Amino acid sequence: MKYILVTGGSRGIGRAVCEVFAKTTDYKILINYNANKDAAEETLRLVESHGGSGEIIAFDVAIKSQVDEALGNWQKANPEAWIEVLVNNAGITKDGLFMWMQEEDWSSVIDTSLNGFFNVTQHVIQKMLRKRYGRIVNMVSVSGVKGTPGQTNYSAAKGAVVGATKALAQEVAKRNITVNAVAPGFIKSDMTKDLNEEELVKFVPANRFGEAWEVAELVAFLASDKAGYITGEIININGGIYS
Amino acid sequence: MSIEEIIENVNEILVDEFEVDIDTITPDANLRETLNLDSLDYVDLVVSIESISGVKLGEADFKEIVTFQDFYQVLFSKVQQKEA
Repeated sequence: MKYILVTGGSRGIGRAVCEVFAKTTDYKILINYNANKDAAEETLRLVESHGGSGEIIAFDVAIKSQVDEALGNWQKANPEAWIEVLVNNAGITKDGLFMWMQEEDWSSVIDTSLNGFFNVTQHVIQKMLRKRYGRIVNMVSVSGVKGTPGQTNYSAAKGAVVGATKALAQEVAKRNITVNAVAPGFIKSDMTKDLNEEELVKFVPANRFGEAWEVAELVAFLASDKAGYITGEIININGGIYS
Repeated sequence: MSIEEIIENVNEILVDEFEVDIDTITPDANLRETLNLDSLDYVDLVVSIESISGVKLGEADFKEIVTFQDFYQVLFSKVQQKEA
């Protein structure tokens, strides 16, 4: 049985990815969450309402031992299952001017948004290498390619994942594993709900914030077998704010 | 597990996994060249060996290994450590 694992799948873009995969593919969907079980269960309910099926799985991507234990136990309970698509979507922001930034706000963002990529990908890629097929899509951000003031921590983490995406893509291409990244701009989600949309939209050529499902459709394409020759790419999806 | 058992089991799985002729696997032959291993193939080798011995080889182990004889010896000592 083939699965897609979406980290941080309980809300926002992660939830939209789960929904699009439920609507358009036969993958079973493994919905990772850390703190918000209710939201993860709601995502699972939405997946099922679209005719898909899946499970929720709890772990903090920032903690390698938790990732290994949760995914290891899941694999033992489902020996026939394998994760063919991994969407590294879990991320957090702790915004603030660099000059005032607390060390904890720096390191927690790096731990989740950068080290989370390492912790989950290293676990999942072993089986992809054995199976000689896989799709990895990393959710980065316009912050990681352009840099965003007030987000030096988040920009650093996402920028690092951009580099890792390009390097890993070259390491594993021979085994039909593609590694790409998607860099959204302003997308309507919990992460942007406190932003002043009316003001910020003036900077967006498309004159609107993006929808989570628009990002999810791009992820679905990159994760499909139609996109087998695209690897190591960072695809912007930002209404023209940066290219 | 004796070293003879390890050699027999390892050779059997290598022939199967890497599609090489058993006659090419001799103690003094070069492991990497004989099995035509690239860096990613080590994943297959590690998983295969783990499946028959319960021992997981790491990158450091392979630094000591050139020939099949080296390979058997490293594996044998790891198995012994595990069984001790």
